[in-house]
Amino acid sequence: MTQRHITHPFGKKHRLHEQVIETILFLCALFSILITVGIAVILVRESFLFFSDQKVTLVGFLTGKTWQPMIDLFGFLPLLNATIITSVIAMVFAIPLGLFVAIYLAEYATDKVRGRLKPILEVLAGIPTIVYGYFALTFMTPLLRSIFGQGTVEIYNTASAGLVIGILVLPMIATMAEDAISAVPQELRLAGLALGGTRIETTFRVVLPAALSGLSATFLLALSRAIGETMIVALAAGAGPNMTFNPFEAAETITGYIVRISGGDVSYNSVDYNSIFALGLVLFIITFTLNLISRKVSSLFYQEYE
Amino acid sequence: MKRLSIIVLMVITLVSLSAAGTSESGNVATTSFNWIEGPSVDGLPGVNPLKVKGNIITAGSSTVYPLSERMAERFKEEGYSGVITIDSIGSGAGFERFTVSGETDISNASRRIKASEIEDAKKIGRNPIEFRVGTDALAVVVSKKNTFIKNATMEELGKIFSTAKTWKDVNPSYPDEPIQRFIPGTDSGTFDYFAEEVFKKNPEPMLSASHLQLSEDDNILVQGIKGSPYAIGFFGYAYYNENADSLNILSINGIEASKANVDNNSYPLARPLFLYSDAEIMKSKPQVAAFLDFYLSYVNEEITKVGYFPANEDELNKARQTWLEATKGAY
Repeated sequence: MTQRHITHPFGKKHRLHEQVIETILFLCALFSILITVGIAVILVRESFLFFSDQKVTLVGFLTGKTWQPMIDLFGFLPLLNATIITSVIAMVFAIPLGLFVAIYLAEYATDKVRGRLKPILEVLAGIPTIVYGYFALTFMTPLLRSIFGQGTVEIYNTASAGLVIGILVLPMIATMAEDAISAVPQELRLAGLALGGTRIETTFRVVLPAALSGLSATFLLALSRAIGETMIVALAAGAGPNMTFNPFEAAETITGYIVRISGGDVSYNSVDYNSIFALGLVLFIITFTLNLISRKVSSLFYQEYE
Repeated sequence: MKRLSIIVLMVITLVSLSAAGTSESGNVATTSFNWIEGPSVDGLPGVNPLKVKGNIITAGSSTVYPLSERMAERFKEEGYSGVITIDSIGSGAGFERFTVSGETDISNASRRIKASEIEDAKKIGRNPIEFRVGTDALAVVVSKKNTFIKNATMEELGKIFSTAKTWKDVNPSYPDEPIQRFIPGTDSGTFDYFAEEVFKKNPEPMLSASHLQLSEDDNILVQGIKGSPYAIGFFGYAYYNENADSLNILSINGIEASKANVDNNSYPLARPLFLYSDAEIMKSKPQVAAFLDFYLSYVNEEITKVGYFPANEDELNKARQTWLEATKGAY
């Protein structure tokens, strides 16, 4: 933590309104921190209620292959598995595509084209996720079914949800990656070209490695967004925990389960109800870790250019 | 030090401001039954919805939902100007809101209230009273694309919704394809009822089945069942009725779900639909009494349009009698 002080050339004057403003700003900052702490405290406390239930064991929770709280089966692997499958599909789809869009925008597009394309990408980012959910259910799923056959692809499936999450994070990846690529100093490009590299060689051998820290941070943030995505999977991925690696089968993700259970249909004091906090905590830990790694990675690969 | 005192001052100001903001404008409670007007219907006083004031909060069964929604619509068409909330969250959650948190005035249910729920209600000073409003023939449905199954015995239902992996396991003449199951969520009255009728109250085999999708939202189930010839599911008859062009309903033990078979009790999966309220609520919130009066007076004119079957006349009269007793002395 460093503190910067701008010393006033004519000495310090006590002005009340300055201090009032400073205090208000400080309280705002404090407030946002308090909210975060409050959320974490509630998650931990309610999860503790869940784990203190006699029927639940931590080992069973982490290794069990069936999640069906009503009959005392609390293995969260099927939910985690579905979350991983949808997120991986989303990343496989969105990372290459987003990266290419970013490269095009940063390295090849003229100002005019960029001026047209960026707003369109931003529109894509502004679509509510519930709309994406119905898009998955009414467009992506029928499309997959017409390609792979009605028999192979179930009506609710993780592939469709994953692809649409990919579309959802695409603009995020494209714009953040473009920023990272644009931040690479012009001298490096010129040096690459001067050494006889073609434009594409310069881009892939010089510019992208130089932008690695920003790019990895982008991908990790996108991944954590995909893991936390809720409406799309709630609508399109399925409404029953299912331990499967087949992306064309229905399987419920962690967020999907939380939505279904908190949608009003469970008693407040039941173990099912407390279970959603434990699952929330797991999600929180996963995304929090990813964000930490992403910060670490960006400082690890960070290179100073002069 | 000075800074600290300013912070303290700010906090105090903020707190007092927010406290001022939350002080409620007092609820104007009208406890008059001045909406009673016109000729009485089947022993109940006539209702003039134009004179009914105040809001009504209901929640519960997704099976009863379409019926309550229809009745609320008609109530509004005839002049009711308040807001009536109907949440479709399942019978169990509905009772939870009615008996534990006491948020609702009326609880919709597709099963009878449990003794434990009555206990809970007494703890918050409520005494649930029951109004039978109709009958549902629980519909076991498959997609129109399914050509092999038209009828199931109760025994076959037991296999289909639990241990059978493929259709062939149920009947050797059926295709060797996995059964995809779409059933109501574990807190719904429909789930409870099915577990009770088919699995002797033990939900375990049903929940251990593979390819199982559970949802409190019957439309999600309809979507899923439409999607594959090998899918099967069950829900209230009204949802079948609404989607009859894409779904086939199975007869159970060879008996079709029809008005005649529901009336003479031969359809094995016919079950009662209820509303629950409390005499004190009906007296202190006359709009609730008015809505129940209206409901019990006209439910038979709407129920078949929604897709359910009228309750037996004796049951309805009993409900009307309950209403009269609950409001005795209030008007």
